[in-house]
Amino acid sequence: MNFKPITMLNKRLFQKNKGRNLAAVTAIALTTLMFTTLFVLSQSMNKNLIEMTFRQTGYDAQISFKDITAEQAEKIAAHPDVAEVGQSMVVGIGRRDALAGRQLEIRFADESYAAHSFAAPSVGRMPQTEEEIALDNLILDRLGIPHELGQKVRLEWIADFTEEESRVSEFTLCGFWEGNESSYASMAWVDKRFAEKVAGEFTADEKTSSSSRIIGIYMAQITLYDDKNMETVMDHILEDTGLTGLEYSVNLAYDSDMNRMAAKENLPMYFGMLLVFAAGYLIIYNIFQISVTTDIQFYGKLKTLGMTKKQLKKLIYGQAGYLCLVGIPVGMILGYALGAVLVPVLLPERDASVSVSPIIFIGSSLFAAVTVLISCMRPARMAGKVSPVEALRYNDVQSDFHYGKKHLTKKRSKNAGLTALAWSNLGRNKKRTVTVICSLTLGLTLMSAFYAKNAAFDMEKYLSDLTLSDYQIDEATNEEYQRGYDPCGDTLNEALRTQVETMEGLEGTGYLYSHDTEVTLDEQTISNLQNFYHEERLAYWASYDPIGPEALLRSLEEKRAGCIAYGADGTVLEAYTATERLLDGSFDAVQFTTGKYALAIAPAGDEGQKPGTVSVGDQVVIEGYSYTVMAVLDDWNVVTEGAKENGPNDDFYLKFILPTEIFRKNWPENTPRKLFFNVEDGFIDRAGEMLETYQNKTGVTFTVTSRASMTRQYERETRSSAVMGNVISIVIALVGVLNFVNSMVTSIVSRKKEFAMMQSIGMTKKQLCGLLVREGMQYAWITLTVTYAVSALVVGIGVRAMVEGGFTTFHFTLLPLALCTPILLIFAFLIPYLCFRKIESNPLVERLRMEE
Amino acid sequence: MEVIVKANGLKKYYGKGETLVKALDGVDLEIERGKFTAIVGTSGSGKSTLLNMLGGLDVPTEGSVQIGGQELSRLNSEQATIFRRKQIGFIFQNYNLIPVLTVWENIIFPITLDRRRPDKKFIMEVVQFLGLDSRLDTLPNNLSGGQQQRVAIARALASKPSLVLADEPTGNLDSKTSDDVVGLLKVTGSQFRQTIVMITHNPDIAAQADRIIRIEDGKIAG
Repeated sequence: MNFKPITMLNKRLFQKNKGRNLAAVTAIALTTLMFTTLFVLSQSMNKNLIEMTFRQTGYDAQISFKDITAEQAEKIAAHPDVAEVGQSMVVGIGRRDALAGRQLEIRFADESYAAHSFAAPSVGRMPQTEEEIALDNLILDRLGIPHELGQKVRLEWIADFTEEESRVSEFTLCGFWEGNESSYASMAWVDKRFAEKVAGEFTADEKTSSSSRIIGIYMAQITLYDDKNMETVMDHILEDTGLTGLEYSVNLAYDSDMNRMAAKENLPMYFGMLLVFAAGYLIIYNIFQISVTTDIQFYGKLKTLGMTKKQLKKLIYGQAGYLCLVGIPVGMILGYALGAVLVPVLLPERDASVSVSPIIFIGSSLFAAVTVLISCMRPARMAGKVSPVEALRYNDVQSDFHYGKKHLTKKRSKNAGLTALAWSNLGRNKKRTVTVICSLTLGLTLMSAFYAKNAAFDMEKYLSDLTLSDYQIDEATNEEYQRGYDPCGDTLNEALRTQVETMEGLEGTGYLYSHDTEVTLDEQTISNLQNFYHEERLAYWASYDPIGPEALLRSLEEKRAGCIAYGADGTVLEAYTATERLLDGSFDAVQFTTGKYALAIAPAGDEGQKPGTVSVGDQVVIEGYSYTVMAVLDDWNVVTEGAKENGPNDDFYLKFILPTEIFRKNWPENTPRKLFFNVEDGFIDRAGEMLETYQNKTGVTFTVTSRASMTRQYERETRSSAVMGNVISIVIALVGVLNFVNSMVTSIVSRKKEFAMMQSIGMTKKQLCGLLVREGMQYAWITLTVTYAVSALVVGIGVRAMVEGGFTTFHFTLLPLALCTPILLIFAFLIPYLCFRKIESNPLVERLRMEE
Repeated sequence: MEVIVKANGLKKYYGKGETLVKALDGVDLEIERGKFTAIVGTSGSGKSTLLNMLGGLDVPTEGSVQIGGQELSRLNSEQATIFRRKQIGFIFQNYNLIPVLTVWENIIFPITLDRRRPDKKFIMEVVQFLGLDSRLDTLPNNLSGGQQQRVAIARALASKPSLVLADEPTGNLDSKTSDDVVGLLKVTGSQFRQTIVMITHNPDIAAQADRIIRIEDGKIAG
């Protein structure tokens, strides 16, 4: 028989101490649960972030070539470091108006290219004849074609951006798949012969003569064997194939910025893990400390029998190991379940999937095991250091026992009441009391801090910056940054305007018009601009937009700048001219309507700095009409957000607001760009429904921004941190309560014999029960006092500083703590009472005779 | 004649100043190999303290202890533990059996702690001699006091120590069982050529010893 004494002891002790193990297993399981949940969340977040980026960039290969020849692609494909090459050729684009604004690229592609572009047919196959086409469901729906193979597809398209006349082709549907909404365009796959035929219509010269020509452009996507050092590997491949210098791009999802972003999004998780570790340590340490203290005589006995320090430590770690064996898997299962429930809450709009990465299970079990190990270190050392002789007299008190005893007698002589006795009993194991208080304080303070932080958010403040009215409707081309804003667009037409203006419960409307033109800069303005855009500001500007400062300098030199003239009235004008938006001058509504005045818009600068635009009182001439500048307003995104008329350009712009009347007189062709309106509270939902019905009925699409939708969006975006914070702090508080309960129960149970002794010398049952309840209450009071003090400091100073500056209004609150106070007090009363009942169920004589 | 235990000027003081307690106050002692020695004295006289010093369980304030030529004060606590489990068998008044281990496991426990293979033949001999052979798979709590003490004796003998220290091994037993246990100790001592040092209150038991050492107020009285 091969008897391993420590292994055997471990097994038997684990079986023997079932009740006590329950607390430890629960603590370990809770700690693991929190680690696992955090791992699930962070891994899922990473996974979804990468998937989202794949979908946004439209492909999941690592490298893409936007302009390559078929021969070059073949050369690269032959390189041993290349896993896969997908190839594609552009043929043309679908007519947007026929596709309800969805961009459709018509291309030839091989299987690999389609698969890596999330556009491989899930039903049917890729085209094999010139008449065949494969499309996604988004396009099929827009064309009104049923999702069935063999359907006829009639497509209006142009072979290039520049082609004026559209072509019409008939195809047969040979495959389709689920389209990807977050990608900028849908794909229509056609056969290679069709592609080559269309490309053949354009001469080589035509293909390259215009930079906007896309016909015949050949593209490739490269998959490598490894995600690391992709650029180095790719450069190497190009060198080997003699194609050095060929331009390529690395998929954004593999970019190092992406990793940094993921790391940043995960920062709260790492902080959470640190807190979980602290909470786990406080309880597991306490449980082990208590059990080693309780068993110290047993360890002393083992030492007299020849167990060494090392072997004793091994015994303690072995016990911890057994507890982990039960606690960690339980915690992992529960934590994964909790994570799986939370992921969709945290990542609602991302079509989130829960990660099953092994990192979750390896990471959380490792973290939990390390937490347990560190928590056991001190108790194990204590057990190892036990002196065999001392252990025979050990009494569940620390070495300051004598001090405590003196203290006790002194107090008792003055006040021989139970309260004093209860106090000194608490002081008998200071370490335990301190640990429990820390543990509870941590959880409750976190809870209070998260609550106070969330409560400090001021939705009104937030909305007042992002919205101007209950509803805002934009002209469909407002954000057409590539093709440019259409000043004569038809979205906000007479019919829609009438419908809004006759709406029930309407409080007011406001229109915004815009017109792009040019102004000359006078000396005063030039000097204002030079002052405002000092070197530091220019350098900062250049750091994120190098073209901007160049355009400004060019304008200063030419004394000429772009100009956007806005026409504004009603709600817009009222809201925009409120004092907090005025940088300089003052607004006089009556004078403004005369048409002699304009308002200038400028970026907000430093305190006391003159705004970077024209000065108040200056004359500004816009297309022949002269206006006096009445006031300068800060640049408010709600109003000025939108595309330029001629699409992207590099000019520097000054912006002015004129009264609508005057604007309409100057540019009668222009239609409104934005419509703002307020409705009475009771009619808010009805107004939204009305706009929806209008869009459905007329088929016109436009962007509606409402306060309600902004509120919902904010809540969606911030739900992650709110839910996370609450879940973690609640579990940590729970751990604290468990620590408190365990500590109280064990402190009573371990003194069974002492109580029996007290009873044998005349303490009544009522007095004993009273003593225990007093101890519990005092325990609770100390904890609460410390927790209230710490929470008040953390909330009053920490949270206040943290939320300052945002859209917040700080209110001092300790509501969660106030809610937990009665719960804690009930526990503090109930536990000693129940323990007393349990103890009382054994006859006194038996307890007196009890050995340990 | 060979001296196996040698104590020189052994002192153990607790506390300081007014509260100073002299548990042992200058004990010189030599014990011969193979002899059965009884230590007697009143409660609090320092008998247990002396025994703990001899077994290396406690460290003296002053003086030295040599067991079989090994100076105990030269060993650190870890080495002392290992020395103890190799050279000394302990028998305690409250048996000190491990409740979660069976009789057999209790007996071989110190040997296996030392990563040695138990000498099964020898141990079975001891077990049979002590009448425990039918009880090997029992847990200690299911045994009578006398049986438990016999397990403790078997455990003390199992590693064939040269020295057996017994601290009132019969303190918890009735007089019939006490006689049996002491008889057993004497017989096993001579059978396995061991030196036995035993604390007792019982003059009848002390009378069976080869030598009686009386301790009074931390000193040897006679």
